[in-house]
Amino acid sequence: MTIKDVISVQRNRNQIMDEHTKREIRRAVLTAVAVPGYQVPFGSREMPVSRGWGSGGLQITVAVVGKESVLKVYDQGEDGGVNAANLRRLIRNSEGVKTTTDARKADVIQTRHRVPEDELQENQILVLQVPVPEPLREVERDMNELRRMHAEADYAKIWVSLYEDIVHNGVVMKTTGYPCLIDGRYIIATTPIPRWDVPKLHQAPFLALYGAGREKRIYAVPPYTDVEPLTFDDVPFQVEEVNAVCRSCGCSGMKTDGGEAGYLVELPQQDGSSQWVCSDTDWCNRQLNTYLPEDQDFKAGELW
Amino acid sequence: MVNWSVQLQDLGCIYGPNDHASADETGPLFGTNVSETYDSVVACWDVNLHASPGEALGVIGESGSGKSTVMRCIAGDQKPTKGDLRLVSVEGGQRNIFEMDDSARRALRIDQLAVVYQDPSEGLDLKISAGGNIAERLTAAGWRNFKDIRDRATELLHRTEVPLNRMDDPVQTFSGGMRQRVQLAKALANKPPVLILDEPTTGLDASVAAGVLDLIRGLLDETGIAAVVVSHDFNVVEMLTRRCMVMHHGRTVEVGLTDQLLEDPQHPYSQKLVAAARG
Amino acid sequence: MGYVSARGGFEAIQAAEELVKRKRVESGSSWLEIDQIVERLQYSVDRVMGEGGLWDEKLAAFAFRQAEGDLIEAAHLLRSHKSTLPRLGYTEVTHVNQIDVLRRIVPAFREPPGPQLLGKTLDYSGRLLEELDEDKARTEAVEASAKRHDNQQVKAEIATNDHDKPRVPGRLLDVLRSMDAVVERRSGADPEPVDISRTPARPGAPRSSLLSTMARAETGALVQLWYRNILGPDNNINEVTLGEVRHGRLPIIVPHPYTDEPVKVGDVRITEVEAIEDLDRSDEDRGRFDVGYGICFGHNERKAIAMANLDVALTREPEGSWLEQSLLMTTDGLDSSGFLEHLKLPHYVTFRSMMERKIATRKAVLDRDKKGEAITSHHALEEKV
Repeated sequence: MTIKDVISVQRNRNQIMDEHTKREIRRAVLTAVAVPGYQVPFGSREMPVSRGWGSGGLQITVAVVGKESVLKVYDQGEDGGVNAANLRRLIRNSEGVKTTTDARKADVIQTRHRVPEDELQENQILVLQVPVPEPLREVERDMNELRRMHAEADYAKIWVSLYEDIVHNGVVMKTTGYPCLIDGRYIIATTPIPRWDVPKLHQAPFLALYGAGREKRIYAVPPYTDVEPLTFDDVPFQVEEVNAVCRSCGCSGMKTDGGEAGYLVELPQQDGSSQWVCSDTDWCNRQLNTYLPEDQDFKAGELW
Repeated sequence: MVNWSVQLQDLGCIYGPNDHASADETGPLFGTNVSETYDSVVACWDVNLHASPGEALGVIGESGSGKSTVMRCIAGDQKPTKGDLRLVSVEGGQRNIFEMDDSARRALRIDQLAVVYQDPSEGLDLKISAGGNIAERLTAAGWRNFKDIRDRATELLHRTEVPLNRMDDPVQTFSGGMRQRVQLAKALANKPPVLILDEPTTGLDASVAAGVLDLIRGLLDETGIAAVVVSHDFNVVEMLTRRCMVMHHGRTVEVGLTDQLLEDPQHPYSQKLVAAARG
Repeated sequence: MGYVSARGGFEAIQAAEELVKRKRVESGSSWLEIDQIVERLQYSVDRVMGEGGLWDEKLAAFAFRQAEGDLIEAAHLLRSHKSTLPRLGYTEVTHVNQIDVLRRIVPAFREPPGPQLLGKTLDYSGRLLEELDEDKARTEAVEASAKRHDNQQVKAEIATNDHDKPRVPGRLLDVLRSMDAVVERRSGADPEPVDISRTPARPGAPRSSLLSTMARAETGALVQLWYRNILGPDNNINEVTLGEVRHGRLPIIVPHPYTDEPVKVGDVRITEVEAIEDLDRSDEDRGRFDVGYGICFGHNERKAIAMANLDVALTREPEGSWLEQSLLMTTDGLDSSGFLEHLKLPHYVTFRSMMERKIATRKAVLDRDKKGEAITSHHALEEKV
């Protein structure tokens, strides 16, 4: 066999990652799963999407899917988002997967900043896109010190930041990407998912993989693992609730109401008032009992 | 069953090429810490001390005496060349602390051994509040109840006479004396059995210093802590300690009861120091 | 309906791509040939290869054209293309002394051993904008192109100095070593260089990682880091004199797949720089100099000089220093611009969460003020005092 033979092997022109690299990434994923919450460095490759736009999540997804996999990709809860559509297309052309917008039917879900409102099951993988994997970034900048803090589980500084928050602001001010303690050992940044989604991670039956392409780290939360948001015993963990309902499906923005509740986002109106709508578009659609065929890309309507 | 809380034996610390032989040409007999032959500084050598619960031991000396090095070695900020350090609270005093790795030594600083530095910014995070500095120690020890943390911080700051209405102010807005009080409060947060104080009032105005000294004395009496007080100032040592040792050129030249040593120093160097202080 | 963040579905992307394609293919001007880009826009092509981390002038030109002149986009195209390529093998180690110089200057000495070869450079030309007679230039270019087709021999480089001296001049570093003027850094060890595309470089990384990171860092970022290091508010002061500044060709040598004999399969063009640092700190050997090294693909002196300076600056700092962290974490062009531009993605889920916290804290502060007590402290302070 000559070099010419090797080069001329028919490559799928749309393949975005070679097989050897996929294996490398799977190995990093396995290490991550074996040490829940530990940030595993990996040889992050450049992808057709820019750094900061999901290159890490993309690498994990491409490494774990097979031809028979059913894939969902969505962004801020929307399947119709432009970046999600781009990623979905890239993966489909590269790996030949089937796609869906229904979280219940997907084997692998690549998501930017949301966890599905549906309860995921044991055989599903959630791949989260991570802009900044370091949860202690706000309290420490020096990378050597950060490494030590994680190695020694010396997390006093971030606890102090919670104390200071409450003392100065009355509440913990952390918005999304709330720091959580995994399996009682490592603190992770739960990517910028809203606090609304954090309780879904605790002792969840699904596997959660976190990919930071730019920072070149992978971490994981295996199924049935403790995920505890950092907070004091006597200061309840607060999620983003709003006393409103989704203008489309009517579900509540309050978890505490009982009945169906979803994370709602605000649509400011011309007259100064606000309407609210579910962030998770496919779930919302199903609350309405309007159901789309699985193999169609979700067609975005005017304000969807 | 030992009767000390902290025991240090045979401490030696050499800066530069650390050939133990360099100790043979340094010390009070040679009038220097510097070894010409080995091009090193023997900061301290053959130092022993111990302190029992409720007892404060003074370490007196001028700059260059080696007292700061002793303090830093015990605190874990400096690696010694040789020596044996034990705490009764760690494996009943069976373990040589100097043999522990860095992260184990750091863990000791949570609740086994506390240090109050001459410069409060070494022991405090100036950017966070007084209460926050104490919360840092408490959470490091595993406290997870906000009210409990706040109550304990309040209690400590009250005891160290920090105005409670400043509890939430960042420490960098505090005066030197006030910062020292916060440092004390923080050091005592987890009730450590051993406390090291390094020049606790140096740099403070006389009246402020007096107040802080009074406070420390009260705390030592109350808490039954074993303390090592390092200072160049005889007044500090006299006020706080029952026993003391004098260091010169890295060696201990005299040890004794503080009162007796001040009244009737034996070693020529101690005599000089006492005369200067009294004079 | 106005543009609402990056929403709109699959059709929207297709429409956007259609616009790009139309502009690229169907605009009014002549088609932009690859050889025009390689020949006439050499510095862009070289920069794309340097930051893409891939030597291939033609591919770089393709990328540059596809990216419509956006250098970072073009570098990105090269790098993601590289991700799809299988690795066939490794070259033999090439010593930089095998360089065939096109340009070589040595600012540190008036007459260094070996020639100073000004080569092709714009450094000493006046920066005056030339408004050419377009028609005349066009005609001349057509004639020259026709002539080259007739004469297949490669034209000699225009040398401004001694043509007959060897093109493989000695190295200034060797001269300095013979004078015992430089700190000895060679340990005799020959560690395997780290491949940063497989092992991310992080503080505490070996020198090969630092050099590789700089070799494909964004030119502007390296220059800025250098500039800041020299003149900015941070405390480092580094003053260098340049030793070697070279632009030349290095051979690519691989073992023959059958005979295992070394075979030259091509050249790469590189720029390399040695920077001589005056050691002046109390813990350094003040009787000697130290030397930093920079090298990158193509002709990019700005980058190689900054790199050489930073190399020696890093050597003088402790491991894991601020400078090292800045270099490793903030100078890659794809990382920095990608992350910057990601802000254009929809962020309404996170924004909503921030808004919610603002409302929560305003309410909490209001409640506290109403009750007139410290936040969530259940002990009345009066009791304690």
